[in-house]
Amino acid sequence: MTEAMIRKKPGMVSVKEMPVLQDGPPPGGFPPVRYARRIPNKGPSAVAIFLTAFGAFSWGMYQVGKGNKIRRALKEEKYAARAAILPMLQAEEDERFVKEWKKYLEEEARIMKDVPGWKVGESVYHSGRWVPPATGELRPDVW
Amino acid sequence: MASAVDPVGNPIPTSAVLMASSKRIGARCRSENAAFLNCKKNDPNPEKCLVQGREVTHCVLNLLKGLHQRCSKEMDAYAGCMYYHTNEFDLCRKEQQEFEKACSWSE
Repeated sequence: MTEAMIRKKPGMVSVKEMPVLQDGPPPGGFPPVRYARRIPNKGPSAVAIFLTAFGAFSWGMYQVGKGNKIRRALKEEKYAARAAILPMLQAEEDERFVKEWKKYLEEEARIMKDVPGWKVGESVYHSGRWVPPATGELRPDVW
Repeated sequence: MASAVDPVGNPIPTSAVLMASSKRIGARCRSENAAFLNCKKNDPNPEKCLVQGREVTHCVLNLLKGLHQRCSKEMDAYAGCMYYHTNEFDLCRKEQQEFEKACSWSE
């Protein structure tokens, strides 16, 4: 049905006298709306936050220090073990080296026996210290 | 890697066996080691330090033989664990404890 038949006022002549259908506020108006800001000021203070952060940091660094001590102890154990067996290994290598060096000197003497003024096994350096031989490969049987 | 000694009874100084008994070597052969290192410091020529080197070798091999005679099973277990974990002490704590307990320090 048309609006005029639904909303009509008795005794109405034209549509212009129809009662107005409007969306409006309830009677008495709307309740008031708060628009002022209200940020609460409770919670930890700046000093408390700083102390908590500082405490967490120091506890963490303390744990790091403890871990470092443990790791250093492990490393020292390894280094001490290596230092203890080093002379044994070096002594074994010295024996092997002396044997090979003697063979090498004999070979050199055989090769250079006709060269006048050749000192077998003479060091090629003038410093007087003993220098490990740099005659090519150290252990051809290994390589 | 079956045992720390060969069938005759001579100890086999592989790296695992040496690292396993390194504490004992460091304690028992300290003077020989120091003498050898002093000789080396003065003159690095291998031919000059052969005497001290032989002392060191004798000391270590006798120590290994004695250790194996006294507690062969624990020593073999520890050396085997070292061999398996490539000389990492932290991975062989259990065998280390048993070895320390079995082979007492004083002899």
